[in-house]
Amino acid sequence: MARVEVENVGIDFPVYGVQRSLRKALFERATGRFMPRTGPRHTRPVVNALDGVSLALEDGDRLGVIGHNGAGKTTLLKAIAGIYEPIVGEVRIEGKVTPLFDVLPGLDFDDTGYENVVTAGLLLGMTRRDIKAAIPQIEAFSELGDYLSLPVRTYSDGMVTRLGFSVATTIEPGILLIDEGIATGDAGFGERAARRMAEFIGRSSILVLASHDEDFIRRACNKALLMSAGRIVEQGAVDEVLSLYRERRQGNDGAMHARAKMAT
Amino acid sequence: MASARLVPGPVSTEVRAWDDLIDGLMCWEIWGRLGWLEVKRRYRRTVIGPFWSAISICIFVFALGSVGSSLFHRDASDYMPFLASGMIVWVLLSNTITESCDLFIDGANLFRQLRFNYSVLAYALVWRTAIGFLHNLVVYVGIALIYAPHLLSPAALLALPGLFVVAVNGVWIALALGMLCQRFRDVQQLVTVILQLAMFVTPIFWSPNFMPAHDARFFVVIVNPLYYLVDIVRAPLLGQVPSVATVLGAAFITVAGWVVTYQLFCHYRKRIAYWS
Repeated sequence: MARVEVENVGIDFPVYGVQRSLRKALFERATGRFMPRTGPRHTRPVVNALDGVSLALEDGDRLGVIGHNGAGKTTLLKAIAGIYEPIVGEVRIEGKVTPLFDVLPGLDFDDTGYENVVTAGLLLGMTRRDIKAAIPQIEAFSELGDYLSLPVRTYSDGMVTRLGFSVATTIEPGILLIDEGIATGDAGFGERAARRMAEFIGRSSILVLASHDEDFIRRACNKALLMSAGRIVEQGAVDEVLSLYRERRQGNDGAMHARAKMAT
Repeated sequence: MASARLVPGPVSTEVRAWDDLIDGLMCWEIWGRLGWLEVKRRYRRTVIGPFWSAISICIFVFALGSVGSSLFHRDASDYMPFLASGMIVWVLLSNTITESCDLFIDGANLFRQLRFNYSVLAYALVWRTAIGFLHNLVVYVGIALIYAPHLLSPAALLALPGLFVVAVNGVWIALALGMLCQRFRDVQQLVTVILQLAMFVTPIFWSPNFMPAHDARFFVVIVNPLYYLVDIVRAPLLGQVPSVATVLGAAFITVAGWVVTYQLFCHYRKRIAYWS
């Protein structure tokens, strides 16, 4: 039984830069003793990436997350993955989570294809035995042949994508989180990849897919969620949410204005 | 790493931090590989690889050794092994400290893409500095063979528990400095400055017993935590059992360092992803 529960999650990214120095922090600390705090306690600007987000998913749910750039899609996925532990609210997960943001983590261009497969596989949570068992599949699907024994720097971009896609899709996904990166990757190499992707998604217990691509969401998902400015605008049936998305895109959309604000 | 089985319900930051440290240690295949790949990456397409570091130490030891032995009126058979063993341990410590500053800055591309036990990066760092140390050990063995072959006795194996102590300390140093330097980028520069000075203040080129008895400056040695960590490995390499003071000092640093780091790690672990 897999389950994802996101409860009233809020995530703010502090914006460092001018203030990212020890001097400033020491100075604040020092002056804080002498000057009564009148203003808000923290005056560091933050980007409010998620705000009051709640959702619940169970086995068999395939959720498409749609929204403009900066709507909070990726942050939501990363919160579910446990990459960003929320500052406010709570994320509860039952089951194994496979986040596919980077399909070849730890990629070293000077290592051979085979060596990179081992590094990426280990980082993606496979054991050495899993990886060994997956090698024939990876060889067959990537069609890289002898290139797998050569350093990855000799590959073309397309070949690297193919290798990454082949590695990622051999994983036992569990709760699968996909960002648009890998989704657009499949358009690059055709029908075979699309089939493998569909089969891979089919093996997952829960899917959360963030994308701009309405067709891909329509094909892969049975639920959808529209985000804007870090909040959930609507969640429900795929068609309803997508038509709302289209309506809002034609009208004046609130998501595009800057959301930097001073935290209180 | 990417797969996480999280316990449902609220989990305290202490539990998360503890799990991170333990689960991270269990992922020895991952940190072993990350550490090894980093060594490979650094010396890629060189013929002798990490032995370049050994060569640099070797030149240093011969140059300074010939000056130092006359300067301090020491017999070469005494001073050369002392300098060689001190230098390789010093290089181990200073590499650990320097590289700790980049721990979470360089590691960001991993832990922002995957759910990650942050401690894995610290273990990988300690492992790769240990690999460097093993290469540098050649210098000590070479010098000992030339000047004082009797030092290469089974008693030198007492250095192994000492190395273990240094490794245990390396992990907290990596985590603490990693977090500090990630949040406050000035700290890295500060550490560089302090390390340069520390090399001369720590008894590497000179021994505390070169000092006149009851010299007030002996204080500098006693308060220097690096001295204990150097001595606990160096003493066995010179055929001595580490002194009680050294053992107690090292134990104190280990405990104190871990207590402080554990508190920091509990409080700020969650922030690491946001700081990058």
